[in-house]
Amino acid sequence: MPTVVVMDVSLSMTRPVSIEGSEEYQRKHLAAHGLTMLFEHMATNYKLEFTALVVFSSLWELMVPFTRDYNTLQIVLVTDGCLGIGRGSLRHSLATQNQRSESNRFPLPFPFPSKLYIMCMANLEELQSTDSLECLERLIDLNNGEGQIFTIDGPLCLKNVQSMFGKLIDLAYTPFHAVLKCGHLTADVQVFPRPEPFVVDEEIDPVPKVINTDLEIVGFIDIADISSPPVLSRHLVLPIALNKEGDEVGTGITDDNEDENSANQIAGKIPNFCVLLHGSLKVEGMVAIVQLGPEWHGMLYSQADSKKKSNLMMSLFEPGPEPLPWLGKMAQLGPISDAKENPYGEDDNKSPFPLQPKNKRSYAQNVTVWIKPSGLQTDVQKILRNARKLPEKTQTFYKELNRLRKAALAFGFLDLLKGVADMLERECTLLPETAHPDAAFQLTHAAQQLKLASTGTCEYAAYDQNITPLHTDFSGSSTERM
Amino acid sequence: MKIFSESHKTVFVVDHCPYMAESCRQHVEFDMLVKNRTQGIIPLAPISKSLWTCSVESSMEYCRIMYDIFPFKKLVNFIVSDSGAHVLNSWTQEDQNLQELMAALAAVGPPNPRADPECCSILHGLVAAVETLCKITEYQHEARTLLMENAERVGNRGRIICITNAKSDSHVRMLEDCVQETIHEHNKLAANSDHFSLSLMQIQKCELVLIHTYPVGEDSLVSDRPKKELSPVLTSEVHSVRAGRHLATKLNILVQQHFDLASTTITNIPMKEEQHANTSANYDVELLHHKDAHVDFLKSGDSHLGGGSREGPFKETITLKWCTPRTNNIVFSSISELHYCTGAYRISPVDVNSRPSSCLTNFLLNDPRYKIDGSLEVPLERAKDQLEKHTRYWPMIISQTTIFNMQAVVPLASVIVKESLTEEDVLNCQKTIYNLVDMERKNDPLPISTVGTRGKGPKRDEQYRIMWNELETLVRAHINNSEKHQRVLECLMACRSKPPEEEERKKRGRKREDKEDKSEKAVKDYEQEKSWQDSERLKGILERGKEELAEAEIIKDSPDSPEPPNKKPLVEMDETPQVEKSKGPVSLLSLWSNRINTANSRKHQEFAGRLNSVNNRAELYQHLKEENGMETTENGKASRQ
Repeated sequence: MPTVVVMDVSLSMTRPVSIEGSEEYQRKHLAAHGLTMLFEHMATNYKLEFTALVVFSSLWELMVPFTRDYNTLQIVLVTDGCLGIGRGSLRHSLATQNQRSESNRFPLPFPFPSKLYIMCMANLEELQSTDSLECLERLIDLNNGEGQIFTIDGPLCLKNVQSMFGKLIDLAYTPFHAVLKCGHLTADVQVFPRPEPFVVDEEIDPVPKVINTDLEIVGFIDIADISSPPVLSRHLVLPIALNKEGDEVGTGITDDNEDENSANQIAGKIPNFCVLLHGSLKVEGMVAIVQLGPEWHGMLYSQADSKKKSNLMMSLFEPGPEPLPWLGKMAQLGPISDAKENPYGEDDNKSPFPLQPKNKRSYAQNVTVWIKPSGLQTDVQKILRNARKLPEKTQTFYKELNRLRKAALAFGFLDLLKGVADMLERECTLLPETAHPDAAFQLTHAAQQLKLASTGTCEYAAYDQNITPLHTDFSGSSTERM
Repeated sequence: MKIFSESHKTVFVVDHCPYMAESCRQHVEFDMLVKNRTQGIIPLAPISKSLWTCSVESSMEYCRIMYDIFPFKKLVNFIVSDSGAHVLNSWTQEDQNLQELMAALAAVGPPNPRADPECCSILHGLVAAVETLCKITEYQHEARTLLMENAERVGNRGRIICITNAKSDSHVRMLEDCVQETIHEHNKLAANSDHFSLSLMQIQKCELVLIHTYPVGEDSLVSDRPKKELSPVLTSEVHSVRAGRHLATKLNILVQQHFDLASTTITNIPMKEEQHANTSANYDVELLHHKDAHVDFLKSGDSHLGGGSREGPFKETITLKWCTPRTNNIVFSSISELHYCTGAYRISPVDVNSRPSSCLTNFLLNDPRYKIDGSLEVPLERAKDQLEKHTRYWPMIISQTTIFNMQAVVPLASVIVKESLTEEDVLNCQKTIYNLVDMERKNDPLPISTVGTRGKGPKRDEQYRIMWNELETLVRAHINNSEKHQRVLECLMACRSKPPEEEERKKRGRKREDKEDKSEKAVKDYEQEKSWQDSERLKGILERGKEELAEAEIIKDSPDSPEPPNKKPLVEMDETPQVEKSKGPVSLLSLWSNRINTANSRKHQEFAGRLNSVNNRAELYQHLKEENGMETTENGKASRQ
């Protein structure tokens, strides 16, 4: 999550901090010290983080802009809690928040997902003596409760500032380290950005789910089978101690540290499972399914950055036993060798996926809907068209007839059955001379059956009972008998 | 949407009293005359649906859309009410589909207009609806079992959609009171009964949706009323709707409200014309889906909102332009890419049977596929197990391995990782080993990497030692899989013989293979962990191994000297395993093959052709010689007699 550091540079920040027997510090210096610590931490442990710096007093200025697009933000506001007075002060702005026009909206909540961390260059007592703390808390509330206020414990000094920033780092900037496993093959990796805890259903089990630090690969599947599944978030998977990989991702961070470089060079020579995995997935056009926790899975895959560069990435599926309906239950996926016959066929020309649902959806099962007259008319027309092509179309004629009969019985629309029966009788009278004698027999039979069904008596109106073609025999033998 | 919100349970209560048999007074022309046949024929009179038919088909449409988008966890209970309540299905997932409901409705049939109206009432159905809402669903049961002591956190909410023909506003109030009273009674009963905790639950929240429907052209006796809280448990709303398509439209709007649906219209889909198959025109198809699908659109501020859709003026639809995929055959396409996807949503076409809709859905649906039978064991665990076996010995880079660069090793390497071996597998492994022995004897070069070594790299015999070591590591990693795996190792140990003193010399002399040995060590460590229990058994095997080793050494005792240089192509070795008793020392291969052959020959009758063969060749069609030439020519083959 990219970070914006918002630094208070108003006059009150230059207030001196009294520390016995040492050189004089201003609150500004303490803030700078804390931020330096944060930036150093990011430079070593959180290299891919993007940061921007904004300073403000009564005006503001963007000192360092972002270099990349962002979706969600972390905002670190550094202030001494002196909120100023009069127009433009936070106190005034909060008081007049409801009087603002749409074009001059209060900046909070931000129009993007964000976390607001407020680092106070003051201790709690100092803030509580005025209404500053309340105002700052309002800010967090306005940001939908996303964020936190940090204050200095004890007297203002470098050490206590450090411990305050230490808490922020622990909360928001700890790198996520994990062990990627595939059977006996393992690799230490950093997953970036940190996967955030996920709350499945507030009602049943509101405990946020956190992903395992052991990421176990459970199998591999074709990209075509998994077919661009929906994911909660995407993360880079970077082998740890492999600075080269980090560069490849495009952080552009160079290390001056000689020792670290040589350590990285050695690491670069040791075969790493991540490299093997990334290469294999790319070549085979597959993804690896990885277990993130109980009933929680994700996938590892090669993502092309440009024509030349590609990275190993991990996407998280929604937790649950069946995150992708077309694959069925995750636990039911097994090795191909366990199947009686290869589900992909001998020539690898078929696939067991997508799985068919037990109950077909309405659009796959030819349901009957007569809400619009056109739906009903189309169904009647189909019967009529086939009626005129009897006896060739006997099977289709009865199929359509039975479909209409079933729906009419379910909807209690018996008048329709009678109407269609009349129509078939009329068709019988309109048959041309050249018509096959069977056509007349079948039409009369069908009309009769529909009429019986339209009485609604159980005997003739059973839903599961179909009207079957009249058995006729116009072959030579019967003609002789006639 | 929470799992156990009001939408988890929907009860339809449809009035089946005599007055519902009345016509909705909206005519349907069903006898549309086809062109060229119109002369002199008067079309049949239009028919009209009854209030009952309108109610049933509208509620079926509601269910159709709901089932399409929520095939699980959103349940419907269908009740019809006349002189009593008829509950048509249950909350179980098996009962949740259109076919079941249609069949049950057909069994009920249309209302009987001649029934005594005094006996019939919608109240029976409403009481039954409250009862059925108290019944626990399998999902609620599952959640409660899972939460154990926190079972009370599982909610029980529901919705009753009642379609009736009410007499007046006070009649509607009476129905509401009845529902409220019944809920109150049932909840009171629940508080005092143990039985409730098992299969019945108190109702926490009930949404009553009363729909008064009446024939088109009549004045409504009931007025609309927005949602109102009647008690902390019950809210109620009243809709007064004309029957026919108006009722269907109302239920379509309700299903969207109840299940948070939104509409998307896919525009400009090219489709072949029904009449002229070679031309194609563009069509639009409107789909319903969960409204979350639109969240990102709305966030991005890029509103594709196309205003009111054609289907109804009440809802907005987002329009998307169709983009034909690069290949029609999406599934079999070899070009497969992963695209970033933030959501996938189930859809339901608004107009399911229209041609454009079915064209689109048929294009998207693939041919029916089959499902893999799940075995008793959890397949995913079997998959992990297989990965474990396959990675027991897995050199990560090419230069670290010899055997995986050798085609000759493939038959062994591909089967040794299996959980169990067949006799045939063992035989193939043994053949592979003999083949390698043969290669060693012929001094064939090995694909040993010389990267990182100075000069030409290890000598040939050293190369073979490395290769044998690696192969042993691979096989040893799997000896605990089965007794047959052990047999492969035994064979390997018997075949890879090396003079002990030479071994010693090498150990002293070289440290170059440390790298190879490291990987072996990892596997051996693993093995030790796994196999210490079996150490006794193992010892026995090793003893046997040593014996065979000794045996092999005896054979090899007269080694490289006079043995006939093996110039036979490798294939022959597999195909002609019988050994000609010939001069010179017997090779290990022939010794082994003899043993196998003798063992095998005891199991079957020898093929007659082989028995009569001369120099391993048998003449075919010998009987033809004895018979006269006539028959042979008759067979259409030139006789050479």
